[in-house]
Amino acid sequence: MAIIDARDIVMDFGGMKALNNVSITVGKGDFFGFFGPNGAGKTTLIRILTGQLEPTSGSVEVLGVDVVKDPLGVKRLIGIVPEVESPPTYLTAYEYLFFVGKVRNLDKLDDKIEKWLNFFDLESKKGTICKDMSKGMRQKLMLASAFIHEPELLFLDEPFINLDPIYQRLMREYLGDYVSNGGTIFMASHILEIAERLCNRLAIVNLGRVVAQGHKKDLLEAGESLERLFMRTVGGDSRRRIS
Amino acid sequence: MMLKEEYRTHTTYSGKGRFLTFPFFVFFLSFSFAITLDKTLETMSLADLATFTHLSAFAYGLSVGTFGLMGRQYLERRYGTSNYLVAMPYLLPLSFRTTFLGIFLRDAIFYVLLLLVPATLGLLASAPIMGFSVVSIFLFLVAATLSFMLGMSLSFLASVLFIRSTKVFLAFTAVLLALFSAQAVFQYPGFETLLPSLGFQMHVRPFAVDAEAAMLGILVALLLTSAMTALSFYLVEVRVSISSQSYPQKLPEYHSRIPIFSGLTLSLISKEMVDLRRSGTVPKMFFSFVLPMLFLSLTVWFVNYGLAIPVGFNAVFYAAMVGFVGTLMYNWLNNIDLSEYYSFLPVTVPQLIKVRIRVFLLLTIGISAFFVVAISILNGETELLWLALVVMFVTSLYMVVVMAYLTGLKTNTFLFDTSVLAKFAVLSFLPDVCLTILSFSLLSDWVAASLGIALVLGSMLVATRIMYKGIEARWAKAAFAS
Repeated sequence: MAIIDARDIVMDFGGMKALNNVSITVGKGDFFGFFGPNGAGKTTLIRILTGQLEPTSGSVEVLGVDVVKDPLGVKRLIGIVPEVESPPTYLTAYEYLFFVGKVRNLDKLDDKIEKWLNFFDLESKKGTICKDMSKGMRQKLMLASAFIHEPELLFLDEPFINLDPIYQRLMREYLGDYVSNGGTIFMASHILEIAERLCNRLAIVNLGRVVAQGHKKDLLEAGESLERLFMRTVGGDSRRRIS
Repeated sequence: MMLKEEYRTHTTYSGKGRFLTFPFFVFFLSFSFAITLDKTLETMSLADLATFTHLSAFAYGLSVGTFGLMGRQYLERRYGTSNYLVAMPYLLPLSFRTTFLGIFLRDAIFYVLLLLVPATLGLLASAPIMGFSVVSIFLFLVAATLSFMLGMSLSFLASVLFIRSTKVFLAFTAVLLALFSAQAVFQYPGFETLLPSLGFQMHVRPFAVDAEAAMLGILVALLLTSAMTALSFYLVEVRVSISSQSYPQKLPEYHSRIPIFSGLTLSLISKEMVDLRRSGTVPKMFFSFVLPMLFLSLTVWFVNYGLAIPVGFNAVFYAAMVGFVGTLMYNWLNNIDLSEYYSFLPVTVPQLIKVRIRVFLLLTIGISAFFVVAISILNGETELLWLALVVMFVTSLYMVVVMAYLTGLKTNTFLFDTSVLAKFAVLSFLPDVCLTILSFSLLSDWVAASLGIALVLGSMLVATRIMYKGIEARWAKAAFAS
């Protein structure tokens, strides 16, 4: 069963096609990696799949909900970690999770907040307002706010950015367990080493078009790394070094 | 570069075409005013008109010159995915004084080009019809620019003082208020002394030509502007406050204490309340009322005593004006923080707009009502207070819904869109004129005026209901992200 079914997506920003007939299918339990060079259209597609942006044309169903018709319905079901960490300036870490929990109408909210503050080692910072947090702390808070309602589908845009190696490892482990327990992940990342270890299916996008999509084992040639596949499909080898 | 940045910022919000029609709008207004000047001069002298125009340019400068505060705001938080050139000293070998000089010059050029130049061109276009002297119009542009720059540099200095020391800021503001109050009560010092650019204007064509006095006026204006600007640059301080302070958890407390509301609305209102408290916006909202109310009082005084026109300005008139000025609070609410994080939650733009209207109404009970009560007491018109409060609440509700319907969550930027501005002007002007005229008639024919006011307020409530419902459809597809 397809958890994400996007067909022929076109996104035209005033004559500039950020996405051109992009079709993506993600099944239940997939750890789906979405890769591409800067400006290839990764964040645009995530914004469309999560109901933040309406495509120029094409259809999108996420968890059986038509995203264009019911973006709010989709947002209720999923968790989103954006590329830029942007929690509200004047709320404390605790308050932001409380706010998210109330907006999502969660039960046993205090327990859930404590669990995620502990997991991300934010317990001692729960009275700090987001304005005064480091980038890493803000990223942890955005991750916690996406996980707190235990959604069955997560959209992660560069989730490892700003995290120290300890938390990169903890996140890898958590995300691995999450998928093992039936969750589905759609992740965009430039950190190919981590992505290669985690993803079972992937797509590569270049200049708004999908240039490769499928199971990792089918796409990678014998002994080939994800980085090699990426370079091969987007023409990265032809880029010159600075002399 | 900063001019390009400012231009692109504005065109990003409302589109190139719509933004560029704004100066044409100003040109057209100025031209229309100029060709009907003869009619205006039947009730007002040219000198009074010039005084009024210069005071307006000065007040406009005051409103755009708070760089001390704005600079800090730019540096403390990015605007969505945008970073501004003022923050470049973090990355490049530049000083903050250089970038502040940049934003000062940028805004001076930008706003002169956006408003004063098109207004002058409107006057120039009317010159062949009205027989105005081109030299007089050029001298008017010079003088008005100086008045604007005086306001801008004064505001810059006041904002820098505010950042460095609240006590010095309060003392500085008190001195200014005392000077302007003395002018209002004792007509001393004269406006030409307080505003040397006006002194220059009054000693060149088309007024009495006195080269020596004109030179003195222009020199003092330039000297004052330069001195205040130089002092501001000397004192400007980049204090991006990162604190290790631990805050009490106010959100759960507000969530459990705020009555009436429930569900999503309660959660959003509680968050807005925390934002208001921690960002220190309420005092800023309060003081943002002071300037327009002072300007209004000055105008009233000017009409009553300067022009000797016995118009019955009363508490009901002021209440309507407080309602109109109150929309500033909605603008403040939209500028406390970014709202991009709402994109990741099951919340829509219309839901947040409606919540901010409710918060605005809660604030109206406090701030706007305070001004109406204070004015009623000061005017000795407490018998009109109940009517004044009703007028203020209905006007506030109507105006905020008009503003929210037309501009959504991007109030200050959408108002640069000519089509939005024109709609806003029409929708606010009509009830404003009706309420003003009816309030003047209260003392002469209480029953008829009250019935008229009731009819206008009723119409405003109907319009409010229609637009409030329309917010959903108009903003349903809008995004939180910029």
